[in-house]
Amino acid sequence: MRNNNCKLIRRELDELMLGESWSAAATEHLRECAECREFHEQQTKLRQIVGSLGTVEAPADFDFRLRARLANDASSAPPIYWAFARRGLAVAAMVIVVVTGFVVVRDVMRQMENNGEVAQKPQVHQPAKPDEPTPVVKEEKKPEQVVAGVTPVTIRKIRPTQADYRKQPLLTKEASSLGATVLNGTQPAGMSAAFPIDSSVQSITVSLEDGRGNAKTISVPTVSFGSQRIVQGGNQFAPKRDW
Amino acid sequence: MNTLTTIDELGFAPALQQDVLEDTTSDHALLEATRSGDQDAFAELVSRYRNQITSYIYRMTNDYDGAVDLAQETFVRVYRAADRYQRSYAFSTYIYRIATNLAISELRKRKRRKLVSLTGFFQPTDGGEAKELNPPDGRPLQDLELVDTERRNAVQRAIGTLPEKYRAPLILRDVDGRSYDEIAKILETSEGTVKSRISRARGFLREKMRAYL
Repeated sequence: MRNNNCKLIRRELDELMLGESWSAAATEHLRECAECREFHEQQTKLRQIVGSLGTVEAPADFDFRLRARLANDASSAPPIYWAFARRGLAVAAMVIVVVTGFVVVRDVMRQMENNGEVAQKPQVHQPAKPDEPTPVVKEEKKPEQVVAGVTPVTIRKIRPTQADYRKQPLLTKEASSLGATVLNGTQPAGMSAAFPIDSSVQSITVSLEDGRGNAKTISVPTVSFGSQRIVQGGNQFAPKRDW
Repeated sequence: MNTLTTIDELGFAPALQQDVLEDTTSDHALLEATRSGDQDAFAELVSRYRNQITSYIYRMTNDYDGAVDLAQETFVRVYRAADRYQRSYAFSTYIYRIATNLAISELRKRKRRKLVSLTGFFQPTDGGEAKELNPPDGRPLQDLELVDTERRNAVQRAIGTLPEKYRAPLILRDVDGRSYDEIAKILETSEGTVKSRISRARGFLREKMRAYL
């Protein structure tokens, strides 16, 4: 190809249909340019060969086979109500997915809120909610025993509910590592900062002084009260022992 | 559209025996009639296009039995989608588009299955130069008809080695004689792209058919 003119002329000839007349400029160029003339002759011959392929006829039983195919499709087509049913099922499935997602997200949010509360208020034991099923509270009515001016702590046995377990903080107060509070005779029992003793603290250390310089340290190890199942009106399940 | 249950309900009548439908009835009108349940109208559409569509798909796939199946599938799709047909473009464009899509899907399926055809055995994957498996015999042939047949077979094989994006526009233009505008609509591309692809396709063919030119 010698120049841009050849390119333009070849493109013009290429875009024409066979037998269509071309411009005078193209005629003039073909007369002068042997390369383009050869290209045009080859291109024309090629297009003639391709065009000679002609049309292949469909087989004689084309219509019959098509009819059979259409009839077969029509008879095996699913009933119309199935389309509606499928749509309904799809909508129901989508609703279930959305509702499940909402519930999961809500639970996660609630759990995160609870964790936040615990972090702010690191209390070991949460009181039961008033609207929850009545936690059974049992108070000991035994006479108080005073040992070395210390009033025994009233032990309250409360069976924690499921919600209480959920709200159980991850951190507990370890009192055994803290310094013991010193009680002396000048303070009446029960007025010290050591009282009331936090019953939720599982390990207690108390130091007592008798006023003559003698101090005794009492360390109460971790005590497990086990669990009691109390069923109202059901004697067979009543607690065997009272704590 | 009426639901069909048996073959006879379709009631295809040969086009020549139809009294109601005339040859001058437009494709649009026939499809409208098909939509309203007129099976004769659909039969007329089939008789108008079955050869063209079969031939076009055959040129694309180089497999006659497969082409007949795909041509039937084309008509089945036209029939099923008659309710959704829009008259925004010519029916021939519409049906050729369906046929093209089916043919291209078939070619891609074959490629995935890695089917190796003897004619395309040496077909390059990058669209470059391909070697002719059955090179022409240089000796003079005695019968001109044999020469023509051999030439046609060679060109059919050469077309079969073209990448699909070049093959469809070349067949639509040089075999079916369709306009650039119509080809662009069938292939859903621009006229410029169509012209460029046809030019490239002819370039490939010229190289492969050099012995016959």
